[in-house]
Formats: sequence, structure tokens, C-alpha cells
Amino acid sequence: MTDAFTTWLLLAGPLWAVFGLWALPRFAGSRKVKDETGLARLQVAGVVGGFALGPVGLGIFYLQPRWITRASLTVGLLLAVFISSQVLVRIEDPNLPSALWLILAGPLWSVIAAYFIPRRYREAEADDQNALTAAALGGFAIGPLIFGLLWQHTPKISRDWIIVLGSLGAWQIYTLFALHNADNLCVAAPYHITYLAQQTANGVVIGCIYSLMAVGLTLIYSVQGIVSFAHGQLYMVGGYFSFYFLLHGSNLLSELTGTEISINPLWGIPVAGIIVFLMGALFERAFLKPMHEGLIERVSEYAILITFGFGFVIEYTTLAIAGPFPQRTDRFIEIRRFTFPRTQITDQFTFGPINIIGDRAFAMVIGILLIFALLYFLQRSWTGRALRATSQDRQAAAVTGINPTNMNTLSFGLGSMLAAMSGAALIPIFAWVPWVGAEMVGRSYVIVVLGGLGSVPGALVGGIIVGIVEALGAGCHPDPSRGAAYKEAFALVIFALVLLLKPTGLFGREQT
Amino acid sequence: MKHSKALFVSIALVALLALAPMGLVSADGHCEFDDYTIKLGGLAPMSAPGAVAGGVAMDWAFKQAAADINADCGVQIDGVNYMLEVITGDSEGSPERGQAVAERLILEDEVDGMVGVYHSAVGLATMGIMEENGIPTIFSEPWNDNVSANGIREFDGAPPRFDDGIDHIFRISPASSMVGSVVTDWLIALGVEDVVLIVENTDYGQPAAADEQARLEAAGVAVSQIDVELGTEDFVPILSRIQASAEPPDAIRIVVTGETSFNLTQQMAELGIAPTPDTICVTNQIAFQHVQYWATVPDGNYCAFNRVGIIPSLFNDTAIELNAAYEMEFGDIVPSFGMASYDAVFMMVDAMERAGSYSDAAAIVEAIEASDILLSQGRYYFTYGAHNESMPADDSMPDFMWHQWPDPIVTVMQYFEQGQSSLDAAVVYPEVYQTHGTAYVVPGTSP
Amino acid sequence: MALFQRFEAAIDAGIGRRRLGYALLALIIVYLLWFPNDTSQSNYAKTVFISGFFYAIMASSWALLAGIAGQFSFGHMAFMGIGAYVAGLVARDGLAFLTAESISSVGAIVIGTVVAGLVGLVIGMLLLRLRAAYLALFTIAFSELFRIVMLTEYDYTGGSNGLSLRPLLQIADVETARQVEYYLMFALLIVCLLAMYWVANSQVGLFLRAMREDEDAASALGVNVVRYKILVFVFTSMIVGLAGAIFYSDIGSERIIPEQLEVLQMSLIIAYAVIGGMESLIGAAAGAFISRYLLEATREVVITYPFGLTTADGSNAFVWEPGAWRYALFGFVMVLTLRFMRNGLLYPFITWFSGRDLVMKETVAKRESDEDHAARQGADDE
Repeated sequence: MTDAFTTWLLLAGPLWAVFGLWALPRFAGSRKVKDETGLARLQVAGVVGGFALGPVGLGIFYLQPRWITRASLTVGLLLAVFISSQVLVRIEDPNLPSALWLILAGPLWSVIAAYFIPRRYREAEADDQNALTAAALGGFAIGPLIFGLLWQHTPKISRDWIIVLGSLGAWQIYTLFALHNADNLCVAAPYHITYLAQQTANGVVIGCIYSLMAVGLTLIYSVQGIVSFAHGQLYMVGGYFSFYFLLHGSNLLSELTGTEISINPLWGIPVAGIIVFLMGALFERAFLKPMHEGLIERVSEYAILITFGFGFVIEYTTLAIAGPFPQRTDRFIEIRRFTFPRTQITDQFTFGPINIIGDRAFAMVIGILLIFALLYFLQRSWTGRALRATSQDRQAAAVTGINPTNMNTLSFGLGSMLAAMSGAALIPIFAWVPWVGAEMVGRSYVIVVLGGLGSVPGALVGGIIVGIVEALGAGCHPDPSRGAAYKEAFALVIFALVLLLKPTGLFGREQT
Repeated sequence: MKHSKALFVSIALVALLALAPMGLVSADGHCEFDDYTIKLGGLAPMSAPGAVAGGVAMDWAFKQAAADINADCGVQIDGVNYMLEVITGDSEGSPERGQAVAERLILEDEVDGMVGVYHSAVGLATMGIMEENGIPTIFSEPWNDNVSANGIREFDGAPPRFDDGIDHIFRISPASSMVGSVVTDWLIALGVEDVVLIVENTDYGQPAAADEQARLEAAGVAVSQIDVELGTEDFVPILSRIQASAEPPDAIRIVVTGETSFNLTQQMAELGIAPTPDTICVTNQIAFQHVQYWATVPDGNYCAFNRVGIIPSLFNDTAIELNAAYEMEFGDIVPSFGMASYDAVFMMVDAMERAGSYSDAAAIVEAIEASDILLSQGRYYFTYGAHNESMPADDSMPDFMWHQWPDPIVTVMQYFEQGQSSLDAAVVYPEVYQTHGTAYVVPGTSP
Repeated sequence: MALFQRFEAAIDAGIGRRRLGYALLALIIVYLLWFPNDTSQSNYAKTVFISGFFYAIMASSWALLAGIAGQFSFGHMAFMGIGAYVAGLVARDGLAFLTAESISSVGAIVIGTVVAGLVGLVIGMLLLRLRAAYLALFTIAFSELFRIVMLTEYDYTGGSNGLSLRPLLQIADVETARQVEYYLMFALLIVCLLAMYWVANSQVGLFLRAMREDEDAASALGVNVVRYKILVFVFTSMIVGLAGAIFYSDIGSERIIPEQLEVLQMSLIIAYAVIGGMESLIGAAAGAFISRYLLEATREVVITYPFGLTTADGSNAFVWEPGAWRYALFGFVMVLTLRFMRNGLLYPFITWFSGRDLVMKETVAKRESDEDHAARQGADDE
């Protein structure tokens, strides 16, 4: 039984994939559909649909070409990855050569391809813009075959391509896990599905929270073209503003009314946001404005240093005032506390096998709402449109009567505000100390670079990806004792890879 | 000239910043003081990357001890009263800085003795300086076994620097092996079968965890270890991993300090992993700071923790006074390293008074070895030193017992009410110190 | 003002500013050479200078990399760490066919330096495509990764207990040992500075500055951008690797710990270089000295009241322990320096002595042609 299933998957999946690659672009839909969807995507759809669902998948895509969207392809790919993993888990005696091939050959071919293919294009004076990314990813995913694919001409490397090759690479890594240790929670049936779902949920929740902070960073970059190195400290100080506002506010109210009143931490978020908005705007006026007026040479380096110094000052001033002892505010919502026996634990939301800590879910909702509010502001209000216009073309914006100087100040203030708000949203969840920003800001850099510097949706997607990678990394690392210690490192590795392979990130503007 | 203005500005700036003359503060008093002021150097991490919170408490304890001694006519040697000053040197938690600062204290400030040290790496690095310069030293917080043991170089290729052993270094904090054994003995006595150790990857966490793991495994307990980096905020992925294992572990032991420990304990409780009737939560000595603990771990009820230092029910008058003063300053209970740092200053002064000199290092060391003094943490004495014929190895004691106070009290305590003061928390182990007559308060009950 | 101008004129007519500058420099060097023999100074003073020399090397090599070559790296401390860690590890565990016993401390230092250079080569090649903010972010990531690995693989690296290197010197007498250590570190600083000056003032330096201002233009004029970018990266990596390996071989400190590689430590190096002057090697080196002195001197600020006044409680001085404020003020000085004296606090002195603007002429010409700099900044950042 198992053998038959495995054989089908080993043979038929790829077979149908090849068939789909050839057939789907040829037969699917009218010419109009083909033009809209594009040849490359039809090919991808053929491969994915064929591999994941065999003739059924191809049939669906043939009948309904409109369903060939990025989302459906991603779902199909995940399905394909899952099916493949099932196959590998079922292979009882994983032989060493295949493991060795996976460990050595993937990176090896990646490096080889990344070295040779762009070189070939340059020699032929062809467009080599995407060659490096495609070659490195492809080498990892399909080994030497990538030479055959890429030798003649570089493809227009679309997001589809990245998703396909990236997923294949992820599949290889997953396979490695299965081969390395079949008892690993992430691959050991039958609980690995719920386990993976739980870890993914953990990642998504914390990822949305991460995004809020990263959005501020990306907003500043899109308008001013600089990366704020004070972002982590603004995040930290936002938490402290909220803390002190709640502390003194509650005391004051209690004194005035004569009854015990404690303000909900929710109120700390706008308060911290407004204060830090002013801080950021003032800093921009005093130190960044001269930069845009041409008073300072080599602006990008000046911007790094000056924001870095700003962060330094904030961090140590806070340490001097607030002291090194950890602080924390009350919860957003006081769900019923722990009672024993264990069945009555109600401090978390439960969706089937997945548990999410209550306050964290709340913070995630706040994060998402704020991001959407920002998007709404950017899309609909005049000021928001002016900001976007400035980010796209400063001079053209200036011609239409937008004052770029004000837009700079506004963007830095808004970006700082978002950092502070995420700080205020997290102080009920994490113990707060003056150096709390350091770890968080490193992650924001990863997120914005991954999503594409300057792209707000990119920051959201990037945040979720980083959250998931960290959760799965810590949850699936083959050595349980080191998984958590390397949690930060997983994101950094992705970061380094993205910077090297595709510095524009997933949603970034192409370099001109 | 275009530049002359800028030149003046920078001259002014440099001159302004260079203005940092030194001086001395004097205190009032009813005693006649000699002109000479006895100086002690206090090493503590006062700025990052060191553990600033620890350093601040230690610095406070030094100053408090000096103030208390001066209020009582200072150091009295042969009928002369000397003022005492403790100069705190900021080690920044770095061995390199620690070495430099120790040298500064010894050579520039010309201190007569050294106290303090928080990080073991600093302790290990600075021992040599004190030894070379012949400065009597009482360490009050580093735990690494090798501090106070003879022969400190861990690098095999190098010749030992001190052929004649470590003469000047004493320690009144426990060695990490002494701490671990109490917790593990307790867990074994409770009959746990599997334990998860969550450990910070630092000079404190790793040796402590290795030691506990060895002890537990020797008793047949299954142990799995999880390393975490200090400063990590979100532990949910790794806790989900523990949760997903088939059987919940019998105990989770947290060998992590600072705010990282608080985050971990709280998230563990929020996820419902521990404390539960199935799983014991054992955290560490910082949970004793109950104000901080409950502020950051509101769900941490029924967590046990190891207490290093004297337990509240045994607080003597000195300890109670010290605690009151600390509470006034920081609004929390005094940590053990605060007490130990306070005691270290008193011990040094006591030894100087008995030696009849503040500068004769050999006499002072001899006097410290012969110490028998009751201070906030109890009675201090040393078993192994030049006053004892046999070395620790002769009595099959571990090497670190040399110049080591053998009696630091290490207990396991447990909270059993939310928001409880650590003064009221139950001492559950060892049995002689039990306050509520139970070895473990089962979650949901009250002793 | 008039007095000062007359003084200037007198100097110009007499010895000449340039020569006066050299004379002063020579005086400083002679003083530093004589310093360890000053019996009134304690060993601690020498220790301060030894670590001052070390940080001076770090700051000035960073100035070469970031200020002159325009490669804004945050990974400088990591390369120092590579030098020190590799030296320590090979001396303990040997390397391939070499056993630990067969590697002397000098050999270990050489291996550490070479490995730092090799890693610098690889990283330098990877960095070619990145500019400004991206480069800074990548080097932060690299540096953090290195630190985390050193911290986590404690079985091998000693974790946060640190790693002891094989001591370079075996001198029993503390007094003499410290003197030798002092001269060794001082010599290293001088050698490194001379080597860096040679690079900066050679044709390579000219190319580097040209690339910093406009990489495309430099490339169009036939400068092999790739080659020189990698070259300067490898060169500075080797310098800091060497400095790290020597400094931690029981010269300045007997063990290296991963905390030394934290971003905070790197930011201090950057602050030193900024305060001293990012585009001047000797300025950055002096900046390290000045900044460390300031940070040390402001640990306790005591201002004695004038005229023997005392306050009610009998104290005769105002005492302030700044604690964390010290770093906050230091950061403030750095920010102000950046904003108002971009070339560092020492720049006016150096300019005055040299009698001309030290920023290279081609740079000035280029900057003056950039009238619409503000409009260009977008392109500059990409």
C-alpha cells in the first residue's frame, strides 16, 4: 500500500508536472487569457498543478485559467511540498548518498551557478540583472539542471520564479530534516501537522507584531531614502512613555477621584505615539533637514551616523532616568486568571489544536489595524498621497506644490511614531528594559530588506515570513538544545541571503 | 582666517570637557578621624554590556556599608579612627575593562583591599591583578568554581601564572556547584523523572546547567537541555516544542537571569506549561526580588526558585536593617549580592582591625582566614587557608573550597499566593529550613 | 583676534606652520616613547595607553575603510574577533597537520591575521554589490552572526567565559612586562598607521577617494573598482585581525569574550572615529584617545566650590556621578560633532598646522560642482 503510494508520487507527480509544463500554456484558455496571465505563469501553473494534484490540478487550471493566481500557486506549492515530505518520511531506509547530495550539492551548485551564469551573460553582453538571483536559487533547488535552463538567456525573474525555486529549496531543507532525524517533531507523523500549524501560527502572530515596527522603518526609507538606525531605541522609548503615562496617569486619576483607577494600556499607545512623533519630527528638523538642503556631503553615510547617534543618546538617557530594572504594564484584557486544575486555563485563544496567548493575539490585532490605518492614510488622504508622491519623485512632487521638506519631517515623525506604538503595544507582553530595542531592531532590518525597502505591504509580508522562519527554526532545529539560542541567527541568515541575491527584496522597486 | 574661529570653538570644547578635577567628600561625625582615609575598591558592572541592575545594587551596598561604618567612628586600628571610602570601579562586565579598572583602583587610587565582582569572567580575569599586587580581596558574587580555586589558567599551553597558589582571594558567594546541588537534591527528593533545563549561554548558565545535569543524570533522571540567548524576548516557539512532546516534563528548571528569565517564566505560565500539577516550575534566585518578579511575571504563582543567601525567616537585625534601607532606595527586597557586598566590606574592615594594619596585606589575609564574624548573611569563616594544614584535596573536597566560605545558605523557596512577598514565601528545601512543613506546595493548594 | 593673527603671521614667518606641526607631532611621539620610563606613573597608566593604542588602531583603520574608501562597515569588531579567536583556537587545538605544540604564539597570531584577511576577502567580494545602508546592514548581520556562533558553540569557543590566547610574552617581572607590552602595542600602532598612510596617499588612496565620491565615474575613467574595493577591505581586515590577535595574547587582555563583538562596542569605535575625524587617520586615532579619556574622566565629576565655601552638610565640592548620563552625553557630543564639525573635533588643528584644507582637492572640486546635491541624494542612496 505504502509502496504503491510512494511509487505513484515518485513517478506520477513529476510526470504530470512535465506534462503540465508542456500542455497548459498550449491549451489553456483563449489568447486573451494567455496574454493576461503570461507564459511564465502558465508554465509554473502547469508544473505546480501537475505535481500537486496530477490530472485534477491540470484540469482545474485548464477549465478556469482565471484561478491561476499567485495565491493558488502558493497553495499548490505548499501542497506539493507537503506531499513530497510524506514520500520522504515513508522511505524507510534513507540512504546516505541522498543525504550527502542534499547537504553538499545544493549549496555547492548554488555557488557554482552563481559564479558562472552571470559571467556568461556578461561575456555575451546580455542582460544579467536577475542572473545571480536565479542562478543561486536554482542551483540550490535543482542542482546542475539550472545550467540547462539558464544557459541561453536569463529569464525575467518574476516573483513566481522566486516562489517556485524558493519553495523547492525549502523542500530540500525539509527533506534534510526528515533524513537527519525521523523523530524530529516537525517530520514525525502523525503529530507533525498540528505541530507545524502551531509553530506557523506562533510565527504569524509575532510576525504581525514585528511588522508594525518595520513599517515605520520602510516608510522613512521610501520618502527620505535613509535607514533610521535609531528605530530600536524609539521603539523602546515608546514602551517607556506608555509605562510612565499609565503609572502617573492612574495615580493622578485615583487621587482626583478617590477611587482606585487603572488606565487600560491601550491608551498608552496613542500617547506614546504622539510624544515620539514630536521627538522624531524635531530630530528631523534639527539634524536631517540640513542634509536635504545640500549642506552636508555624502548624505547616506551622514544619515546612518546621525540616526545611530540619536539612538545612542536616547538609550542611555532612558537608562539614566528609568534605571536598569525590568518594567511591564498591565494586560490589555484581563481574561480570567489561572485556576487549577489545568482544564480551566483560559488565558489563551484556542482554535482546534492551535493555542495563542490572549494578549499576544490582541497585540497582533492592534498591529494589523494600525498598518491598515496607515495604508488607508497613504492611499486616501491628501497628505498621504503627497507622501507617496514625494517618495516616487521628489522633484515632480515639488512642482505640484508639495513641500518636500514638510514631507520629510512628516515621514520621519510617522515612522518614529509607528516604532513607539509597537513598543507601547508590546510592553504589556514583554519585560521592558532600556536595551530591549536592540534585538527587535535587528529583526526589523531583516523584515524591511526581505519585503523590499520602501514597501509597506512588503513589510507586512516580510514580518510574517520572519516570524514563521524564527518559529520553525527554533521549533525544528535538529538539536533541540541549540534551536532557541540560534533563533535570531535564522533571520540573519535569510537577511544575508536576500541582501546578496536580491537586494530589492520581494516587493522593492527595481534598481535603476 | 576662516579656520581660526573653528579652532577657538574646538579649543573651548576640549578644554571644557577636560575639566574633571578629582576631589573628596567628607562626612560629618562626632568622632575624631585620622587624616588618612582607608580605601577599598569595589568592582561592579555599572554599564552595559554588564548586568547593570546587579551593579547598581552592589554599588549601593558598598556605599551603605561605608556609611554605616563611618557613622560608627570608621575603622578603628590601634585606637585611631580612619574614615572608610569604597571606590566603585565599573567593570562593564568585560574582563578587559575589569582588569584595567582593577589596576586603576590598586595603582591610582591606592586602595587597601578589594571587594565585589559580579561576572565570573571578570573575577577570573582580575584575580591575577590582585594577586600580583598583593591586595586582599573578598569576592561577593562570582560563582564560577575556578574563582578561589588554585591554578586559574584554563589554557593548557600556558604555564600557570601563580605557582605558589592564590593567597589573596576569598569568596563569600557560593560556587555554582554548591547552588546546583540543592536544587537537584530537591528535585530528586520529590521523585521527578524527567527535567527540562532552560539555560542561558553565559559563563553563569552553562557551568551551572552542566553541573545540575550531571547530578540529575547520576540519580537516573532524564534531562534535556535548551540553550537560549540572553535578551531573547519571545520564547513561544521553543515552549511549543516542549508542549508538543508526548508527555509533559515533571519539572522545568530555568537557569536564566534578568528580564530574559522573567519573560520566559511568564510565557511558560501563559501557555499553561508550568507551573501545573504535572510540571514543577523552578526558576532562579532573581525571583526573590518579589516586586520585580510580580510586576513582570503576573502568572508566576507556585513557581519555586532557588534562594542564594539567607532566608527571610532567619534574617538577623543587620539583615532587616539593610533590607529596610534597600527597600527605601529601590522599593524591592535586597538581593543576595547586595547583602554579600555589604558583608564583604565589613569583613575586610574587621580583618584590618584585627590585623592592626590597613596596609600589611599578609597580616590582613591571615586575619580574613581567621574570620569569625556575624553579619547580615550569617557567620563567616573559612575552612581552608594558610591557617589549615590540609588542602581541600587532602580531605577529598573540591578545589574551590580554598578560601571559600563553606556555608552560603542555598534553599529552594516557593510562592503560593499571587503577588506574595518573598518574606512570606515558603521555604521548601532543605528540610532543616522548611517554614511551612512541606517539601512542595502543589499548585492550587496552600500549605 | 588681531593678536591671534599676529601670532599666525609670526609663525608663518618663522618656523612655518607645517614644520611646527611636525615638531609637535615629534614631541608627542617622543613623549609617548619616554612615557613608560616615567617612574611617577603607575602600571595602570600604561595599561590605559596600551588599550588606547589598540582602539586607536581600530578607529583609524575604520576611518580608512569608511571615511576614505567609503565602505561603511559595522563588521570591524567581528574581523578583530576573527583574528583573536582563530589565533586562540589554533594555539589550543592545532590546525590540520600542525599540532598545537608546534604552533608558537607568533605563528598563531599570523594564522589569525591571515584568516581574518581571507574572511575579509570573501565578505569583501559579497559586499561589492551593496552600498551605504545596505552595506551597513549586511555587516551588522555578519557581525551578529559571528558573535552568536561564538557565544553558542561554547564547547569549542568557551562561550561567554571567553577564550584565552597563548600569551605572546613570558616575562616574569610585572614592571618590565608592562613596559614591553606598551612598546609592542605602540610599535604596532605606528606600523599600522604608516602602512595605512602609505595606502591612503598612494595611487590606491586616490582611486579609493574617487570611488567614494562617484563610483561610476571612477569606473568609467578606468579605475578597477572591484579590485580596489576588495583590496581595502582585506587590508583593513588584516590590520584589525592582527591587532586583535596581539592585543588579546595577554598584551592588553588575557581573554576575548563574545560581548566584545556586540554592536555597542562597534558603535563606540565609530564614535571615536567620528569625534576624531573620519577622513583623517591620525585624527581618528587621536579621537580614540580623547574619547576614552573623556569617558574615563567623567566617571565622577567633582567641582570644588571656590573660596573654600562649604554647603550646609559640610561638603566642599559638588559631586556628580553621571552613570548612564556619561554615555548619553558622549552620544550627544558625537551627534553635534557630526552635524557641525563633520571632519572631527581635531580637524581645525590639523588644518591650521598644515596650512591648507586637508580634504583632498579633487573632493572639494567635486563637491562644489554638486550644487543640486539635495536633488541627487535619492540616486546617491540607491
